[in-house]
Amino acid sequence: MPLIGSFALLLALALTAYSFLAGILALVREGPSSARLSETARRAGIASFAIVFLAAAVLVTAAFQDNFSIAYIFHHSNRDLPAPYKFAVLWSGQEGSLLFWSLLLSAYGLVLRLRYKTDPRLFAHASVVIAAVQVFFLLLLNFAAHPFAIMQGSLPADGSGLNPLLQYPEMVIHPPMLYLGYVGFTVPFAFALAALIMRYPGEKWIHITRRWTMVTWGLLTCGIFLVMHWAYSVLGWGGYWGWDPVENASFLPWLTGTAFLHSVMMQEKRGMLKTWNMWLIFSTFMLSIFGTFLTRSGVVSSVHAFAQSSIGDWFVAFLGVIFVTCIFFYWKNRSHLLSEHRLESLVSRESSFLFNNLLLLVACFTVLWGTLFPVLSEWVQGTRVTVGPPFFNRVNIPVALLLLLLTAVGPLLAWRRTSAESLKRNFRFPALGALVVAAVLVAFGMRPWKDVSYFYSLMTIALAVMVALTVISEFVRGGRVISGHTGQNLLASMVQLTRRNTRRYGGYIVHFGVIVVVIGFAGSAFNQDKEQEMGFGDKLTIGSYTLVCQSYTQDDNPNYGSEWAVMNVFKGGKQIATLNPERRFYKASQQTSTMPSIRSSVSNDLYVVYEGQNPDTGRPIIRAHLNPLVMWIWVGVWIMIVGTVVAMIPNTAPVRVMAPARVQPAPAGAGD
Amino acid sequence: MTVALMACMFIATATLVYVFYLPGTLYLGPRKTRLSFLRERRETVYENLRDLSFEFKAGKFPDADYQAMKTSLEEEAAAVLSEIAHLEEVARNSAAGNKKGARV
Amino acid sequence: MTAASKRAFRIVLLGIAIPMLMGAGDQAARFNDLGHRMMCVCGCNQILLECNHVGCTYSDRMRAELVAAVDRGDNDDLTLQSFVQKYGPPVLAAPTKSGFDRVAWVAPYLALVLGLGLVTFIIRGWNSRPLVLPANAPAPVHGAELDRFRAQARKETET
Repeated sequence: MPLIGSFALLLALALTAYSFLAGILALVREGPSSARLSETARRAGIASFAIVFLAAAVLVTAAFQDNFSIAYIFHHSNRDLPAPYKFAVLWSGQEGSLLFWSLLLSAYGLVLRLRYKTDPRLFAHASVVIAAVQVFFLLLLNFAAHPFAIMQGSLPADGSGLNPLLQYPEMVIHPPMLYLGYVGFTVPFAFALAALIMRYPGEKWIHITRRWTMVTWGLLTCGIFLVMHWAYSVLGWGGYWGWDPVENASFLPWLTGTAFLHSVMMQEKRGMLKTWNMWLIFSTFMLSIFGTFLTRSGVVSSVHAFAQSSIGDWFVAFLGVIFVTCIFFYWKNRSHLLSEHRLESLVSRESSFLFNNLLLLVACFTVLWGTLFPVLSEWVQGTRVTVGPPFFNRVNIPVALLLLLLTAVGPLLAWRRTSAESLKRNFRFPALGALVVAAVLVAFGMRPWKDVSYFYSLMTIALAVMVALTVISEFVRGGRVISGHTGQNLLASMVQLTRRNTRRYGGYIVHFGVIVVVIGFAGSAFNQDKEQEMGFGDKLTIGSYTLVCQSYTQDDNPNYGSEWAVMNVFKGGKQIATLNPERRFYKASQQTSTMPSIRSSVSNDLYVVYEGQNPDTGRPIIRAHLNPLVMWIWVGVWIMIVGTVVAMIPNTAPVRVMAPARVQPAPAGAGD
Repeated sequence: MTVALMACMFIATATLVYVFYLPGTLYLGPRKTRLSFLRERRETVYENLRDLSFEFKAGKFPDADYQAMKTSLEEEAAAVLSEIAHLEEVARNSAAGNKKGARV
Repeated sequence: MTAASKRAFRIVLLGIAIPMLMGAGDQAARFNDLGHRMMCVCGCNQILLECNHVGCTYSDRMRAELVAAVDRGDNDDLTLQSFVQKYGPPVLAAPTKSGFDRVAWVAPYLALVLGLGLVTFIIRGWNSRPLVLPANAPAPVHGAELDRFRAQARKETET
């Protein structure tokens, strides 16, 4: 089996290398033979998907067969591991993750190469770019991180098991989501670079990649929130985001990707910001490679790990090659990126996009800076410092608030320029709403002057209300126009409105989801927690809840042993729930993990952790967190997903212009 | 071992056949022309115009703003339309010329 | 005592100590504040008061030390400094505001200011130079031709 896997990796490398080289040759040489060459390059790219898929299938099969002669399987699996987690073996270690990256990239490449008829020449260019990235990952797999390396010495009887933190349902789905997001940015990158290289006339390539970008962005968003949910429900510290380097790595391309999704509209609609968008998508791609590098090389957790991990050098070299390539083609074809319009006014939709981009990029820089500062500090002053949540929260919250303000303001501004009169007309209602809500919150006991975190929460909620009102007013006003035409009721008109321009109104739904999420974040300023040893019948009171320990016990199965408690939850003297916080000890990996038990409601989460057992008394030590508004985060994410899906649906009633007379085509270059 | 080797050989052969055996004609697709580029542009500008009048009807900006923005967008559209008309005429003439040539 | 029983002992101790601090109200808030400004140094990468790492040999000891320091009435700087001395600079959850660490705090704001400056500069640059149209942009039209095509555009976009 390992032989077939290794062979498949070599064959895949050969195919992608051929696809890359033959693809370039076919594009450089014109003539009838180049068309055939181009077709073989395309087919080699398609075949590479099948072969990489074969390699991945071999690895997963080996995991299911407990083939511990393969070192990777030995290190990441064991006989008693439940079946779904054996699938997860594919992405739980370095070699497997890289194979998985390649697989997803080949899959995206496959779709791209199958859809080439949309615009064969543009797709051929993009295919070459994708093939180049594929070559890199396959080189890595073949020569630096081989997933089919054979165990040295005698064959072990059992594997050392999957990391227990990863044995959780979300863990099976979140890396694929995140990776689909990371890898997906390769496609818009490939098209952008292709359009630049061939001086593609017009902005059609943006239209072609729009859906790719949105799918990718949506998947990355899902991936990030799944990581948060996983952290919240498995790590057991009561929070969902710790500004860990690995988390930050996924957040970086999300920020630039979000900026790109917005600013690309300016290029599509107004032919502006071409250079900017080009670099934005270049950076997004480089950051997703950089993110993979951060998570895989251990550069941030320790400089020494960096020195040891050979793949770090590969990634640095690859990033260098990408950067040089981008610079080269930008410099060569920069005249192709001239803007067709200028910014007419600082108070316009265009400038709101500019500032939105600026803020997203500053946030991106801050996260990158904070992530790398420990390395820099060690390099400059010899000591490593920690850059933890206090830093990121402090620096990013003001930026996030400004962004929220722009989210409220931007959609109400007109393209080109907005007069004072129209400002007044559009802002009265949302701004007044925000003020009223802030006043109500203060009247109900929120004291923003007592602590900066309270101030931030108040601002967040007020601005969120403003965004909500903006979104609602957009829907209502648009709906009214339609209902005036058709006589439908307002709701039906708003549905029709959305279907006529899915991207815009889908986008507004995403904005609405964002503010629901953000309100959930604002709740964290009011978190409480309490820790206590609890025997039978002992009580712990937190907020309006009282926990009563009903019993505690132990259990055992082949994969892990566990200790858990049964806690009755009372509110207002009435029992409302029973929670079972648990602690597990995984046998193969000799590691413990906590399984918090959570009771969610719209207003707060009661989050109970089984911390351990007092060996003298045998009684469990319980820690209870009361986290307000957490459910809003997960609800908000669903709204964001719905919005993204809506934005991808094609518009109904597409605009029909009279069919043009049939004419002889003049070459594209004419008039250039 | 031999089974695995045979499997590898088979996979390699199948791949090579798929990649290099190209029966039939290839799809080359239309080349992107100046005219098709201009038509894309026309669609974009039209889309902007429709958006503008929709937002105006929704009451997002006063009449003066609307008229100014509409004028500049219509000028943009006119430039595109005029070149489209010109190219279409050139194409028609050359087609007519070809026909005439054929009759002679 | 095993590590786990030590931990349990300390938790019980804290269970007694923290309510005593609570009496002082302010002190409990300080404990909470300082505890959130430090990391647990066991390698779990968590804020000290959020470390729930079972059998962690550090966080319980550190919490007890923090309780003692707050109880003694040491000021914030002194408390944090004593922790840095004992556990090294990484114990602080964020860079300090002196020496090279200041760079960490300044850079993001600098980026924002520079970014704003750059955007303003670029906009100014655009507007002070004549617009160089890309070579493939259609040429503007004038006069009767303009009116004719404008009318056509208007007709085709009326829905």
